[in-house]
Amino acid sequence: MSFAVPAALMLAAIALPIIAFYILKVRLRRMKVSTNLFWKQVYEEKPPRSLWQNLRHILSLLAQLLLLLLLVLAAADPYFAWQALQARRIVIVLDTSASMRATDISPSRFEAARASIHRFLNGLRFRDEVAIVSAGHQPEVVLGMASHTPTLRRALDSVQPSDTAAALESAIELAKQLIGDHPNGQVLVYSDGCAQRIAAVETTLLTAIDDEKLAGANENLSQAANSASTSTSSSSETAPTTESNSELVEEPADEFVGELVGESKRDDQQNATVQVIHHTLATAAGNVGITQFQARRSLIDPVGYEVLVALFNASDLPIKGRLDLELEEIPVDVIPFELKPNETWTRSVEKTSLEGGVLRATLSQLAANAPESDSEQINTLPTDDRAWAIIPPRQVQDVLIVSPGNLFLRKVFEANPLVNVTVVNQLPDSWPAQSIVVLHRLIPPILPQGQLLVIDPENDSNAWSIGKMIENPIVTEQDEDSPLMTHIRLDNVLLPEAQEIKFGDVATTLAATVTGETVYALLNRSDGPCLVLSVDLERSDLAFRTTFPIMITNALSWFAGQPGELQPSVAGGQLAKLNTAAISPTETDNRTDETVAPDPSEVNDPPIRQRGLQLLSPAGAETAVLSQQVGPLDEIGIWDIVQAQSDKEESQSQTVQRFAVNLANAAESDLRPEEAALASSGGEGALTSAWFSRPVWFYLIVTATAFCALEWFLYQRRVIS
Amino acid sequence: MLFPPDFLTRLEYLSIMSKRVFRGSLLAQRRTMQMGSGIEFSDHREYSVGDDLRYLDWNIYARHGDLLLKRFQEERDLHVYLLLDCSRSMAFGKPAKFDLARHLTAALAYIALADLDRIAVVAFADGIISEFPITRGKARILPLMRYLESLPTTGQDTNLGRTVRGLLHRGSRSGLAVVISDLFDEHGFQAGLDQLRYRRFDAHVLQLHDPLEADPQLLGDVELEDIENDSVRMVTVTEKNLRNYKRLFQEHQFSVREYCTNYGLGCTQSPSVVPFDELVMRMMRMSAVGR
Repeated sequence: MSFAVPAALMLAAIALPIIAFYILKVRLRRMKVSTNLFWKQVYEEKPPRSLWQNLRHILSLLAQLLLLLLLVLAAADPYFAWQALQARRIVIVLDTSASMRATDISPSRFEAARASIHRFLNGLRFRDEVAIVSAGHQPEVVLGMASHTPTLRRALDSVQPSDTAAALESAIELAKQLIGDHPNGQVLVYSDGCAQRIAAVETTLLTAIDDEKLAGANENLSQAANSASTSTSSSSETAPTTESNSELVEEPADEFVGELVGESKRDDQQNATVQVIHHTLATAAGNVGITQFQARRSLIDPVGYEVLVALFNASDLPIKGRLDLELEEIPVDVIPFELKPNETWTRSVEKTSLEGGVLRATLSQLAANAPESDSEQINTLPTDDRAWAIIPPRQVQDVLIVSPGNLFLRKVFEANPLVNVTVVNQLPDSWPAQSIVVLHRLIPPILPQGQLLVIDPENDSNAWSIGKMIENPIVTEQDEDSPLMTHIRLDNVLLPEAQEIKFGDVATTLAATVTGETVYALLNRSDGPCLVLSVDLERSDLAFRTTFPIMITNALSWFAGQPGELQPSVAGGQLAKLNTAAISPTETDNRTDETVAPDPSEVNDPPIRQRGLQLLSPAGAETAVLSQQVGPLDEIGIWDIVQAQSDKEESQSQTVQRFAVNLANAAESDLRPEEAALASSGGEGALTSAWFSRPVWFYLIVTATAFCALEWFLYQRRVIS
Repeated sequence: MLFPPDFLTRLEYLSIMSKRVFRGSLLAQRRTMQMGSGIEFSDHREYSVGDDLRYLDWNIYARHGDLLLKRFQEERDLHVYLLLDCSRSMAFGKPAKFDLARHLTAALAYIALADLDRIAVVAFADGIISEFPITRGKARILPLMRYLESLPTTGQDTNLGRTVRGLLHRGSRSGLAVVISDLFDEHGFQAGLDQLRYRRFDAHVLQLHDPLEADPQLLGDVELEDIENDSVRMVTVTEKNLRNYKRLFQEHQFSVREYCTNYGLGCTQSPSVVPFDELVMRMMRMSAVGR
């Protein structure tokens, strides 16, 4: 026997004062009484301080010394050699992917797995070390190696299922690293077996390569997984995961097989001492889910939008139901569908909306499309029954056209439903504040403030001077990266002549001739942007080309500040990028320190962490935004980026960006576990220990308690009688 | 200081109260139980040869022919003997029983002296320790108080029987005998009281005890030291022992009370925390009810 804390044996010195007190106790308290007359009568039947009474005192001393001895031994934490040799190092990998929310096992697969782990912890042996790793989108060590069961239970209870895919393989690798070269290492994987479709690929790879190639194999595996996921969104008649792993996937079992007790599977590919034991908690439950849901603004219709939706029937029954589309809680469409077993159903829907907003898709009225079939087990995962997408709003813009008269110019603005056009044929006395001003030929000496589009200027202004006439200019240079030049080609436009313009300030050339003269330019003025097009609309065929309305549409969009047409929905667990253009600098950003010269880069682009941004989850949890990458977004629904607006009277938050997060993972929607995973599910019997599994100090404390009770009994006999 | 400055004032008040409330029933106003040559007729008895013919009731003889002798109650000064227990057990308690006993002795003596009775104080333990000789007159209260102040608790025992025997051997005249003691007498308190009864003493028992004697706060292993004889007894006091002790103590108190009731003796039992004047009033009230 050895002691973990041998220094605690020094506590045995406490026996000395106990013995001293015992000896001192022989000198009893002397109490004066007026007479012993009655006490003599009390003890007249039995002599006082009989032999048994003295013996009881000695027994009491022995009981106290034994009690002390037991407590000292318990503090020294003794253990036997066989206990040290048989101690295990166990890592529990708990699958927290979305499929663990399935309710085919009451209350859910995740809760069943958690309960199973709790039962395992009940039988933990002395000196066993246990760590807990959650396998969500990224493996995470919830608790490092610990032997304290209550701590393990608290850590286990803190784990919650996510709405993401499972990185089970990475979690197992992490678990193996935690175990290291311990001789009795075990990895216990509690999952529903669905993610093992990918794990099987890895296992095959691992058998063929050595440890040095392991990282490369993981990359290949990830690529394989990504390709499987990508193919899920494509329209096909069979499940993509089944296609990509057709050799490994067999028909799922039809009966409940969760927590099967069987022979444990030992994976010895990487480390011969590490056992990987899978516990599969799943049934062959069916499910129908939304595996793809995206929306974007139409390229043709300024107020239109397009929706791409994909459904997957991960069951062995034909399913019928309907897909409800709601835009900002207002129904916009109801699409009935019928799905064959393992069919992926894809539709593209076009709708119109000026305001845009949150588009939500919901599966409803699901039923088995076959007689005498059980409709309760066809959709057991609610996570993928809903999906969201963000449709950017459109802004109506006021446009003032100052022109001596050009029908094409007026019509190209009037054709846009997002524009309110006002036309005047001479320069006004005052300029509207919030309008885009289009100056055609008529140019004031001092350009007005705000957003300006200048076409074919005839005279000089404070920003430029008119030069010579350019004969037959040919546009050969275009700024392809500028959003102002998207879908525009000017090289085939017939331009008889154009004005040469000499800009006073630095101008960004958007289009230029072969000789270098600027035809279309952007002036970054301090009082508003200004676009200058030096093409004569009457003498060129630009007004007849499709390029012209596209150019005007680009200019209007650029003035409106709309970053793009598509705000893609994010898959659960992924990161999203922050749109810094939509975020206003805070007061803190504008504050300058008079004693320290500010960094010009910081003045122009203050750090994200100083802008007071908060990431608000669908459940209402807030986290600070510290970089342009936000996330991981591991909960389905609408995530908001809010910015605190410090007003003079009250502070309020403003939503500056929204993200739609969907499960969008066919592998997670397919709840049917592999038959191989079920067959290899390990039982709890081999993991739990025998009755005598507690440490020695525990039994010492129990014995000490017994001696304490004995001493109490003796005291009662001695004093209370 | 045993006697506070206002002690005499309280005694005077007590004396006045005793005369007003219990007029004709106290001490000197009592008639002795002796038949003798007094002038107050008591009863008749049969004539026997040798009796003084002067006391023959001739009227009855003339009417009925019976020879009856007239008896008269003898009128003599009442002798009050205050037997004060000075054993060391009387020093027990806070305040000590002995202090209350001396207060009571002084109070009773003052009342008696105020009624022109004769008093004597006999301090006893395992025998007579000392004696304040028989005296009369109210002025003797101060020497008596000095005598009481100088009394120590002493002796190795309490022996009321030996004390009474000593008292009787001195040829003391019968009278009122007040025994002020805790009566923790291993020889039995009955022997002393019996002798007083036999000698036609009008006896009254004033039994004092400390509250801790009735309900001792003891538990566990202790050495019990008898302060009377310094004997030590190592015992383990349990709850059961305590219950037995209390039972025996109450039985002792009851036996004293029962003895006095059976033989017509006055008996007053009190804890030592009661003020002396209250106790005297209670004692006199009980005497009045008894008569």
